[in-house]
Amino acid sequence: MRAGKFICIIIVIVILMLLPLVVRNPYYIHLLIMVGINAVLAMTFILMLRTGLISLGIAAFWGIGAYTSALLSENAGLPVWLCFPSAAIITGIVAIIVGAFLVKQGGFGFIIQTLAFGFIIVLIFGTFEVFGGHVGIVDIPRPEPILIPYVGSIEFSFISKTPYYYLMLFLVLLMTLTLTAFYTAWAGSAWRAIGLSAYLAESLGINLFRYRLLAFVIASTVAGLMGSFYAHYYVSLVPASFGPFKTIYVHVYAILGGINSPIMGPIIGSLIMTFVPEFLRVTEGVEPIFTGILIILLILFLPSGLLGLTRLWQGRGKPHEDAAQPSP
Amino acid sequence: MSVFIQLIVDGLAMGLVYVLLASGFNLIIGISRILFIAYGEFYMLGAWIIWGLMIPLKIPFFFALLVATLGPAVLGAIVYQLIFRYIQFKEQQLLTNIVAAMGLMLLMSQATLFIVGTESRGIPSVIRGIIDVGGVRISYEKVVLIALTLAVLIGLHVFLQKSKIGRSMRAVSFNPDVAALQGVNANLVYLGTVAVGCALAGFAGGLMAPVFAVSPKMGGVTLLIILVVMLGGVGSMPGAILSGLILGMTLSFGQYFLESGVAQIIFFVVIAVILFIRPGGLFGQAEQIPLQ
Repeated sequence: MRAGKFICIIIVIVILMLLPLVVRNPYYIHLLIMVGINAVLAMTFILMLRTGLISLGIAAFWGIGAYTSALLSENAGLPVWLCFPSAAIITGIVAIIVGAFLVKQGGFGFIIQTLAFGFIIVLIFGTFEVFGGHVGIVDIPRPEPILIPYVGSIEFSFISKTPYYYLMLFLVLLMTLTLTAFYTAWAGSAWRAIGLSAYLAESLGINLFRYRLLAFVIASTVAGLMGSFYAHYYVSLVPASFGPFKTIYVHVYAILGGINSPIMGPIIGSLIMTFVPEFLRVTEGVEPIFTGILIILLILFLPSGLLGLTRLWQGRGKPHEDAAQPSP
Repeated sequence: MSVFIQLIVDGLAMGLVYVLLASGFNLIIGISRILFIAYGEFYMLGAWIIWGLMIPLKIPFFFALLVATLGPAVLGAIVYQLIFRYIQFKEQQLLTNIVAAMGLMLLMSQATLFIVGTESRGIPSVIRGIIDVGGVRISYEKVVLIALTLAVLIGLHVFLQKSKIGRSMRAVSFNPDVAALQGVNANLVYLGTVAVGCALAGFAGGLMAPVFAVSPKMGGVTLLIILVVMLGGVGSMPGAILSGLILGMTLSFGQYFLESGVAQIIFFVVIAVILFIRPGGLFGQAEQIPLQ
């Protein structure tokens, strides 16, 4: 990594860490926290897309993480800090079992079956009493206060959202680093090869099924962890919020930012999608209509997203280095 | 025993409407090659047109049904001409098609919610009266619904098999390039297919409107339709008929014997298992799925 880029990232992180000192309005902090969650979800979408898997069930795995974590802390009485990793691991295990069936189909079958899976999960959450039925789960415990010697304790409460903000920032950074590590490792090269041409990759001895499953499981685990965070932040869950509409929004974040930038694209996309309607004072009922129009316009006129635009402008004439296209 | 027959008739009525919807979706995916996720919204549109024309404007049902069929067809044609024509065969065709269709779905469902609110409305039955056959009570409404649906399905079959337009549609679905060489205007065929598909959706919505309540969330039926089409095999008419009827029976018997949520979950799981064993569906081949 170039030194300049590294310094840039450090500066951005420092600015993000100092942000709560400037932004006093808790509502904006709330929006920033949601931006973080949505950005990571969109990253998982791009991760799967790179291997040629178009998942319409991202929100389902997000929901599995959230519900697991909520049930673990409320019914089993597990400390919330232990719930985060255990929810992620349980989501990962579910993803391995489900993925073994779904990923094997690949292509078209995968799309349809993830869509179906998304609906089934919402139905299961809404039908069975264990998951609270249509009312959902309320009063999920918040994370226990962190005790720091001589300073006091950091309380997680709904009024002051700042501790949640830092927790979100930490999780987003951790997930970004994890995903970057995977992208730069051997798995990342294999994924990229699969994205460029599945047949070619297979002929080079890359086990298509295994690497796709790996991408699917990692993406789902990450989504599960964010779901767990969401559960303990929002403290109430309703099944409807994990339906396919959420997945559509996740796709919009990724595509608006640019699907060729697996980390920055989702962050920029979800920032814009969250704050622009806010500043334009669009009423809540109308906002999805504009989103729908925006998606169609994006696909028609700007399929490579905003970051694709800058890349086009910078490197005119240069060959696209990592234009990962799902295989035909 | 009479309950049993009652449930079969209910399942037949519901199933045939799903068959109608699945045939329209089948046409769009098989010939125009668009995974048209917004399809259910056209079904909903048909139902709301019926409500709008019958309740505030007091227009007779059969005229309203005509409007409910033609309205979605015109809208489908416009949508194709404005959006899908440009992205249909672009690179990353699968992703762009799905995302554009999802944008359309979001737009249409939310616009409906915004206009009519979240409540669902009822429409008084158009045809009253009940036939009593040896203890089995069947409403005339269901009989008419079944008869109309069957007539449209047979008409569709004849149209596809015998008429010149139908033959050119099948030619394009078989191989667009060769069809173009034979003088078939492929673009027009795609447009017409989307229009016919949407007309079927609107017609089904209009038929269902007096039987069930009209709600702004009816568009969610898309998933069931996609699953029915996948189960039957993409592009296969007999498959769509068989799997649509299976769905209708499952829902009708499931609602009687189990909770409706549980019945749907069982249906989904059974389909998932069948599709895992036969990826192409009951009557199709996996290689024939046009979107790859």
